[in-house]
Amino acid sequence: MQAADISHHTSRRYNHDLESVRSKVLAMGGFVEDQLSRSLLALIDADSSLGRAVASDDCKVNGMELSIDEECSRILATRAPAAGDLRMVVATIKAITDLERIGDECEKVGLIAAKLATLERPADRYREVKHLGRRVQVMVRDTLDAFARLDATSALETARTDRAIDEQYEAIQRQCVADMVADPDSIHRSIETMWAVRSLERIGDHAKNICEYVIYMVHGKDIRHTSLDHVARELAQSALLTS
Amino acid sequence: MNSSGWLSLTVRVALAVAAGLLIGTLLSSALGGVVAVLALYLLSQFAYLLRILRWLRSDQIALAPDLSGPWGELVAMVARLFRRKQFHKQRLLRLLRELRRSTAAMPDGVVVLNPQAEILWFNRTAARLLGFRGKSDFGIRIENLVRQPEFVRYLRAGSYSAPVVVQSSIGQGQERFLSLQIVPYGAGQLLTLVRDVTREARLEAMRKDFVANASHELRSPLTVISGYLETLTQDAEIDPMLLGPLQEMRRQAQRMTQIVQDLLELSRLESSEGPAPVHPIDVASLMAQLRQDVLARTPHPAVVQTRVDSNARLLGEEIQIHSAFANLVDNAAKYTPADGSVHIHWWADEKGGHFSVTDTGIGIAAGHIPRLTERFYRVDPGRSRMTGGSGLGLAIVKHVLQRHGAQLSVKSEEGRGSTFTCHFPRERLENTVQLAVVNSSAS
Repeated sequence: MQAADISHHTSRRYNHDLESVRSKVLAMGGFVEDQLSRSLLALIDADSSLGRAVASDDCKVNGMELSIDEECSRILATRAPAAGDLRMVVATIKAITDLERIGDECEKVGLIAAKLATLERPADRYREVKHLGRRVQVMVRDTLDAFARLDATSALETARTDRAIDEQYEAIQRQCVADMVADPDSIHRSIETMWAVRSLERIGDHAKNICEYVIYMVHGKDIRHTSLDHVARELAQSALLTS
Repeated sequence: MNSSGWLSLTVRVALAVAAGLLIGTLLSSALGGVVAVLALYLLSQFAYLLRILRWLRSDQIALAPDLSGPWGELVAMVARLFRRKQFHKQRLLRLLRELRRSTAAMPDGVVVLNPQAEILWFNRTAARLLGFRGKSDFGIRIENLVRQPEFVRYLRAGSYSAPVVVQSSIGQGQERFLSLQIVPYGAGQLLTLVRDVTREARLEAMRKDFVANASHELRSPLTVISGYLETLTQDAEIDPMLLGPLQEMRRQAQRMTQIVQDLLELSRLESSEGPAPVHPIDVASLMAQLRQDVLARTPHPAVVQTRVDSNARLLGEEIQIHSAFANLVDNAAKYTPADGSVHIHWWADEKGGHFSVTDTGIGIAAGHIPRLTERFYRVDPGRSRMTGGSGLGLAIVKHVLQRHGAQLSVKSEEGRGSTFTCHFPRERLENTVQLAVVNSSAS
């Protein structure tokens, strides 16, 4: 009777540990989302002090990564998780690396925003960049939502939106080159803008990675380096088999 | 009813026994006749009982068996009980449905959380505002889906007296501002109320922008007016008749400049987010400087004393702290007669650091004290216009202290003087080593 009580208790503690790791990852995600929206605001509103504030806040993201990493190691060492729990811990360790990278890219965007604030603004007032930024924001949000809900279907859908982001990134790049040819005075600004959109595009890639970890976590399938359509077909098949 | 029931039963049994006797006598076995009739009677009673049982099992309460006597009464009573229960159940269900429907239709979002902050239920508005999906989101911790750092901090802090406002980009279109308020109830359950405050937030932002822009735009014309007035009052050839009005105009222009400056400072304070940075400030030298500033005024109170009981340095933003302290000292000097005194004191204890300004001026009636930090609040309109205050000084003090996590306390007695004290928390002190008393008095 007593033994049963204890095992019940430890498993509840264990569940609680896993849940709290997930919450910590999502809290880190929330902070990164905030960093992203602030860095975009700094870029579009030409707010150099906000841009610098974002850059200096990046150390908090790094601190969160370290603390979650440590907790995951502790769970691996003391609980020896298996199956779904093991996948969840492994996926978490990978996801926080990507989140940390997203934080780094936000830091870059913040610093570039601080630089661009001192330069003359283009005629379209960074409309295209704003649009791209908005898309990336939605993608990061959907990625973290899928992580919270353990929703492989929406993770797959979100991973697909990376293609649209890449296309828009290339379009802005072409536009920047055209601007530089037409107006040599804008070269400095265009180069900085290109760096900023490059960072945004990289954020999309990292978000896609996290989506892949979500699918791995739910279905136990490693889908890195496979085409998404192929993955969709396979998932549909396995769904048919299980039902 | 009861006695008549017994009576009819006795009559019936007696009739049956009599009938049995009669038939038995006719068939030459009186006892056999009675037994047979009684057995038949018993059988018929059991048949009634079985019918009632069948009816109760059938769940079709409307098809009650039509029986007479006590059996019929029993059936009627069971049917009535059942109908009453059904009626109450229906009423409760209807009430519950109405309640659900009304909460669902509420313009505010409602999310019910268990003590672990896991989502138990939410209404349609909450789903729309927070991007929840449906029943599949039940059981997920709310902070996993509402990830704004401000909200996560609010949820973990556990003090839910005021709502928290977060920005949200759920749905397409523009950013929205949501106000989230947690209300604890029952055994650790949490009710979260969600409101869309985008309109209010926009209006507030517009108001702040307007004040900042208007003050900024007023500054340049004022500089020009002040400049000309300055030259005119110093012009030797000016008509002495005009000198009085010109000097008054100059004073009022100066006052206006002060108001505009204070408004700008307030809007700067309002737009700076979060707590103030932590740069160490040497309070002793700041106080010495404040004292010099007061002594440079004409007229100034006869005694201006500073007392430093701690060399603990304050952690904050120097410009803002200077402006707050200067406002307090300035007020004290303004409302203290030339033969009065002003004491400035800095000390630290286990609670934190304290900066106080005590004067022997006119004092403030108790009724005014709670409203002192409101913008343009005037204890005596005529008097403050004469002394040239902007009416914004204490509002600035309040904002600066808020950003530093500090509090202002005011003690005052009319005719005797006032004491304004700023209490800074321990985290805002660099070290708390006590220092020998350093005093300096005015000559």
